[in-house]
Amino acid sequence: MTNVLGIGLLLSYLFILIAIGVYGAKVSLKTREDYFLAGRGLGSIAVFMALFASNITAFTIIGHAGFSYETGYGAYGYVIGWSIFITPFTYYLVGYRSWLLGKKYGFATQPQVFGGIFNSKLISLLMLVLLLYYTLPYLVVSIIGGSLAFSTVTEGLVPYWVSAMILIGFSLIYTLPAGFRGTVWTDIFQGTLFLVVAAFLLSAVGRALGGFSEITSDIVQNNPAMLERSLAVELAPINWFSYSFVNSIAVVVFPQIYTRILAARSSSNLRQVSLYYPIALAVIFGISTLLGVWGSVAVPGLTGKETDNIVPLLIHQFLTPTWMVLGLVVVLAVVKSSIDSQLLSVAHLVTDDLLPRFKRINSQQAVFLGRILLVVFAAIAYFIALMRPAAILSIAGFAFSGFSVILPVMIGSLYWPRATSQGACAALVLPAIMLHLWYLGILPPWTTFGFMPVFPSFVLAVITLVVVSYFTPVPSPEQREKTFGLFERVFK
Amino acid sequence: MSFKVRLALVILIVLVMFILHNSFWLWDLDSRLPLLFGFMPFAYSYYIGYTILAVLAMRLIIGLAWPDPPEDLFEQPEQKKQVETR
Repeated sequence: MTNVLGIGLLLSYLFILIAIGVYGAKVSLKTREDYFLAGRGLGSIAVFMALFASNITAFTIIGHAGFSYETGYGAYGYVIGWSIFITPFTYYLVGYRSWLLGKKYGFATQPQVFGGIFNSKLISLLMLVLLLYYTLPYLVVSIIGGSLAFSTVTEGLVPYWVSAMILIGFSLIYTLPAGFRGTVWTDIFQGTLFLVVAAFLLSAVGRALGGFSEITSDIVQNNPAMLERSLAVELAPINWFSYSFVNSIAVVVFPQIYTRILAARSSSNLRQVSLYYPIALAVIFGISTLLGVWGSVAVPGLTGKETDNIVPLLIHQFLTPTWMVLGLVVVLAVVKSSIDSQLLSVAHLVTDDLLPRFKRINSQQAVFLGRILLVVFAAIAYFIALMRPAAILSIAGFAFSGFSVILPVMIGSLYWPRATSQGACAALVLPAIMLHLWYLGILPPWTTFGFMPVFPSFVLAVITLVVVSYFTPVPSPEQREKTFGLFERVFK
Repeated sequence: MSFKVRLALVILIVLVMFILHNSFWLWDLDSRLPLLFGFMPFAYSYYIGYTILAVLAMRLIIGLAWPDPPEDLFEQPEQKKQVETR
């Protein structure tokens, strides 16, 4: 009976994805802007769910619960606390001004917006290279995390390599025919699905463990350290402060997030998103935190990478097999909603910003090439995911840090008329080099003064932009007018 | 109020939120305050409150410095359809 129900649920889920792909392909126009940007016509709910679902990866349900298992309730504030405010704020700070430029001049990606501000092909190329360089590991991390979770939930019945194939294959079902519109529609469906199922899952686990108060009393008695942030070594204030510069401010730099902002229909759509976003983020990470901490007393003794399995283990040990299927659907939904948008944004960047450097491409050719590139990048990501290069959190941390240190150039370009293309180039390259020197261990750890490498790299980006800009010629009045003349008409 | 003043107020809001997130001096309360609703220790419930504050802060920022663009902003002849022409 359970198997029938489970197979029915999975087939229904797959059917909905295929239906979205088929219908999305039917209503989409065969133009570049429609395939990669849904014609810049997304309403508030579509932008919100697209941003939210794309930003929630396997880390939220799997990695964060594992981290909470080890560090306690403090993991909540450490990982997501600052993001609750600053991520939606960056949608205003960077997103709105970028959206204005995109709408005015037809820009569709970061290389186009920031290359356009400085009228510089070099800035555009640097942005492209850095974004691809950091997005691919981030994509692979999503696939690795999701495939491990999928494999664990099915108790190894579906091996890791098949799990990865299923995740990527399911993502391509609707992304390939329907493009951006397909990913946004499935984001609305999958985002709602994983929020609702995760809430029910928390409630079911809570009941199975004797109730929310009962399990918390158990933690207070048996593992009181979970309540105190000052007792968790990983949450030391210097790490806490440094982490403010890792995931929270990096989000708006992710190409799949940035593109979704540009696709908003109006300014009021973006404003609505910035109000919904903190609540959704707090809810999903709040659930994950509780599951992880509760797991520390319900399934004690896990260490290292084993802690990443805590949610599947809780489901397996305390809930019925139907919950395993629901858990499987949540894992699929969470992972695919980020994989599809990452894959599409990588294909979009190459189609729109790299290929036209070599050959003129018309709108229909761009859609065709975009589809080919989607398959190519999916295959590349699959093979890298099979090699599983490092632990989930450390790779994500490195990619996130790389994105974060691009932010000063984005903010400087949008707010400081004195910023020059030379300053922006130097501020993109130098901090990226330093980040690598620190992460690869070429520079000794003491050179970061105890902070995570992202913080000094971020500061270096700000200083480099300012200093090099002051020592290079002032941008031409025409160039400044193009960007800041536009802003002066809006921000009076 | 000029836009520069409003922008300065926005920066002030961001600083206050940053300080509230990095409020290490409050960590002593983690073990001292009772559980909220019987299952939320202070390290957790603090961020429930912080979320409400974040929504209010964003609402304030929208009121201060997030205007709609003028209606004719996107209708000018110099509009460049870069994506379609390349």
